[in-house]
Amino acid sequence: MQKDTTTVTTTPSAAFKEHYVEADGFRIRYLEAGQGTPLVHLHGAGGLSLTPAHDLLSQSHRVIAFEMPGFGSSPINNQETMDELAATMGRATTNLGIDTFNLWGTSFGGKTALALALQAPERISALLLEAPAAIRPEGTAPPPANDPEAMMRAFHAHPERFASAPPPDPEVRARTWPMVMRLMGPNRDHAFEERLKTLSVPVLVLFGTLDGVISPEMGRIYKSLIPNCHFVLVYDAAHALTEDRPEAFTEVVSDFLERHENFVVSRRSTVIHP
Amino acid sequence: MKAWIFHPVTYVPSRPLPQVWPVPATAYDTEIGERSFHNAIEQAITAEQLGFDGVSVAEHHYAGASLTPNPSVMAGALSQRLKRATIAMLGATIPLTNPVRVAEEYAILDNLTGGRLVAGMLRGTPNEFLTYGTNPDETRAQYEEGVELILKAWTEPLPFGWQGRHYQYRTISVWPRPVQKPYPPVFVSANSRESGSFAARMHLNMGLSFCPVHVAAQLSAFYREQAHKAGWEPAADNMLYRGFIHVAETDQKAMEEVAHTYWQVPTADAKPSVAHSASETSGGGTATATAPADLDVKKALSADQFKSMGLQFCGSPDSVFEQIRQLKNETGVGIIDFVFQGISLPHDMVLHSMELFGKEVLPRMHDL
Repeated sequence: MQKDTTTVTTTPSAAFKEHYVEADGFRIRYLEAGQGTPLVHLHGAGGLSLTPAHDLLSQSHRVIAFEMPGFGSSPINNQETMDELAATMGRATTNLGIDTFNLWGTSFGGKTALALALQAPERISALLLEAPAAIRPEGTAPPPANDPEAMMRAFHAHPERFASAPPPDPEVRARTWPMVMRLMGPNRDHAFEERLKTLSVPVLVLFGTLDGVISPEMGRIYKSLIPNCHFVLVYDAAHALTEDRPEAFTEVVSDFLERHENFVVSRRSTVIHP
Repeated sequence: MKAWIFHPVTYVPSRPLPQVWPVPATAYDTEIGERSFHNAIEQAITAEQLGFDGVSVAEHHYAGASLTPNPSVMAGALSQRLKRATIAMLGATIPLTNPVRVAEEYAILDNLTGGRLVAGMLRGTPNEFLTYGTNPDETRAQYEEGVELILKAWTEPLPFGWQGRHYQYRTISVWPRPVQKPYPPVFVSANSRESGSFAARMHLNMGLSFCPVHVAAQLSAFYREQAHKAGWEPAADNMLYRGFIHVAETDQKAMEEVAHTYWQVPTADAKPSVAHSASETSGGGTATATAPADLDVKKALSADQFKSMGLQFCGSPDSVFEQIRQLKNETGVGIIDFVFQGISLPHDMVLHSMELFGKEVLPRMHDL
């Protein structure tokens, strides 16, 4: 779940170009920049918005940030399950001529990414889960849309550094939130969690220590279920991890994408002078 | 109220040490050094026998006032000699070290003491930042991140990485785990409004040191107010005060003993150092105090002059009990961490002061 950015004019960074691809009858918008191994990004419930992490990652990867069907100004998406949405995003990626790729899912898009990785593990080199929403504490409610201050604190460790989000457009919310709640499923989706035990893809789960939307204590649950999974806490970041600490996020995910579980071996030099 | 005794492990010199920091090793006498540890352990055991509730240790470097640059090592030694007393780390200086290492050491100590550890975590004072070349401007940020990291290292049940601003780890899994759950009581300084806010926000216990009673009253009121804003109410046991103490049969005798032997006698050729000027502007919290350079040691000082140097508790048992009661009434603290070992106070005089306190003040203090 991300704060709703679809009413704000999101200006992509200069390097990101807008394109469209067809899949399953949907005309899917995406923003792309960079070269190298493809890194597909599936956004959170607030819709597609670029962060400094996209720019940083596009320096070493071909970053493809999709706007999933039903979000933004795209037509209503009546898909019933997250698996259907995930399959569509898989086909969209195929239709771009991409076979294997790295996959990054944020919040709501984290569950989409997990569903896609379960469907097609042979295509996913590595999976990044940024504050994923697939596992939520019982009793979790969506962030308080009618309390902008509380909303800002849930998303940002230092709200004063960000322009306050305008109140969500009721029309956009009416259109997207029912779909989000329907596809996201319950706070604890036990059947889905069982399936995670079979996931062979290397996974990196990240949570900000100050996440006010989904408790960072969920990180340990992903790690306990997924066989090849590393969990990293990002200090002094809230739910909008890549806006709060883009460099910290980028450093560890780039390393993980390159080396998977070998990222535990430090390559940082401690030589001060030769 | 609880009474702890602070154990700096003081090197009590036979002649004055150079008034500089770092103190050169040429001033160090092997026999005095070794005896300092022996005396310190004897004082700690005596304290437990007298009924003190705890013994505390701290981290200081490169000088004689405290010979425990790594307090965990000292606490390890004490853990095997003290059977009942709390052992309080007050504390590791987080910006000087590796927070995961502190989490590991404290976990060992909590096991060695069977769950009697108090885990203090301190930021340090400006002269301490010179020890290993720590940038003073970054210490507040390092400190706050380090404390959070330690608490996570004790509570995350599966290995995790940490992307901090000042610390980065790929995979942390501390073994052993602390005995106390979720972890030992954590004490941090509330000597400034910034630290007090941090303590309150993080739901941590707080300690004040060496400040006059009216300042302690303001700082503890501020901490309680900040805690209330953070949704909790501190109790007496969440709050500690550390101060120098000297007890003798009469007020007069106590003052005289202090004037002649408590403080470091300055040398004629003492010159100010970077460390000293840094210390002076740091605003309190140092565990050592030196007499002003123009002190005439033959003249007895007034109680107020002693107090301004951090000696809040001085006099006969009755006077000291009144001073304790006043501190409690004005601040609400539930634990006092007493420093009996003045910089130059001979071991026998320390023991005598402790014994008088143990027999004639401590029982009354336990009833407060």
